[in-house]
Amino acid sequence: MSKYGLFLGCNTPALRPDVEHAIRKSMPQLGVDLVDLPGFVCCPAFGTFPSADEDAQLATNAWNLSLGEAEGLDLAVQCGSCYSSLSMGSHLLKDPKKLTRTNELLAKGGRSFKGESKVRHMMDVLYNDVGVDKISKTITKSLKGLHGIVQFPCHTLYPSEVVGFEPDKGPPHVLPDLLEALGATVEHYSLEYQCCGGAGGFHKADAPAAHNFLKSKLDAIKTETKADFIVVSCITCLMWMDVQQKPLSEAGEETYNIPVFDYNQLLALCLGAPAEQVAAISTINRDAVIEKIK
Amino acid sequence: MIDLEQSEVIPDMWKDVFDSEDIRFCFNCGSCISVCPASNASPPLLIRRLARLVLLGLEDELLDEDTPWSCVSCSRCEEVCPMGVRPFELGLAIRRWQVRNDETRIPPSIVELYKEGYTQPVSKAVALRASVGLGELPTIDKYPEMLKGYQDMLMATDVVSNNDYMFKG
Ligand code: SF4
Ligand code: SF4
Repeated sequence: MSKYGLFLGCNTPALRPDVEHAIRKSMPQLGVDLVDLPGFVCCPAFGTFPSADEDAQLATNAWNLSLGEAEGLDLAVQCGSCYSSLSMGSHLLKDPKKLTRTNELLAKGGRSFKGESKVRHMMDVLYNDVGVDKISKTITKSLKGLHGIVQFPCHTLYPSEVVGFEPDKGPPHVLPDLLEALGATVEHYSLEYQCCGGAGGFHKADAPAAHNFLKSKLDAIKTETKADFIVVSCITCLMWMDVQQKPLSEAGEETYNIPVFDYNQLLALCLGAPAEQVAAISTINRDAVIEKIK
Repeated sequence: MIDLEQSEVIPDMWKDVFDSEDIRFCFNCGSCISVCPASNASPPLLIRRLARLVLLGLEDELLDEDTPWSCVSCSRCEEVCPMGVRPFELGLAIRRWQVRNDETRIPPSIVELYKEGYTQPVSKAVALRASVGLGELPTIDKYPEMLKGYQDMLMATDVVSNNDYMFKG
């Protein structure tokens, strides 16, 4: 049994708690114990302290990391932004000057950080700790007969030196491999590596451009694949791709209604968890896919 | 267009913006722009151009730039930059420099973080969480001493202490 501090961030527990429940239901069944972190705060998201004050950014990163470190635990994270913020923070805190300054600040809050606790993404834990074989052998239902495409969360790929966990050089394959382990047929298409465009200030600066950026991706999925669903492993990709399909359909002639799932939701469903708990909240109806998971 | 004739130049301004000497290696290749989702926005985010403004020391132009704020933080530029400039982090550093020089640039979300610890109502989504069978989380508001410690820590940072009127009350 491996054990991690579960770092949930803000969006998942507040807006998509079904994803949180999917994580809580699926990981222990695969031998990954998750422990809550009392007193956790926002990672901090890149639009907050990292855009305002580096001391406050690193102190907040270290606050969260120290909660794991005090229990001797690394952190397991699903949200791409949290994962990237905490990973960048850990990376910057390898600089002894920054670590010293951060500890001066942490001391005012009664905490300290040695730099030991590491940050792991849920996909990394699933692929590199659990392994696809164990996943295939443990599931009791499968996605056989269903076609899926993956949306790679940018925050888990770049910069690879800081956040990467792909085992090989070249095109990433962890998420497609994890999806295949559930029995799905994974299709590939031309804009597979394009960002969803949902994070940060792009859509605030120019909403039509951000919508067109997503539209180009959805059009490629529709014309080039037989995808029954999209799988992500990032709360921002999940919400952006799920929520924006409706306004895109209303604005043009094309209809977009491709169900979007977080990987842990499909995993939990394949482990027999009830959809009312692990896949209950979405804009695009996902029943047609859920019913086929047998 | 960058108009050097019309602009006031601050020598060595880059040192005040970004605590990395590697920015000097930027050779204008544009790789950062070619992979940038927000280069599709109008006005486009052009990291190469921002790097020029920083290196040339064009203070007024840089203070007026809204484009650093349209970054989606994907870090693709960081992956492809052949000169190790770390363009994504440069964009964040420009935001921080703007915040230091112009308090209207301070993101309102940092006040929420100071007061509540979160950017979303994590401790208030009780009904939604219950609807999927989940209870409450051990959020920081449930540990008043920890919340106070977190706030004391932040109060010792420049952005909070220099603008403390925003954070109190
Ligand atoms: S991190 Fe920001 S600047 Fe760099 S490519 Fe992504 S959106 Fe563009
Ligand atoms: S990729 Fe790097 S070297 Fe090329 S223009 Fe951008 S910052 Fe400069």
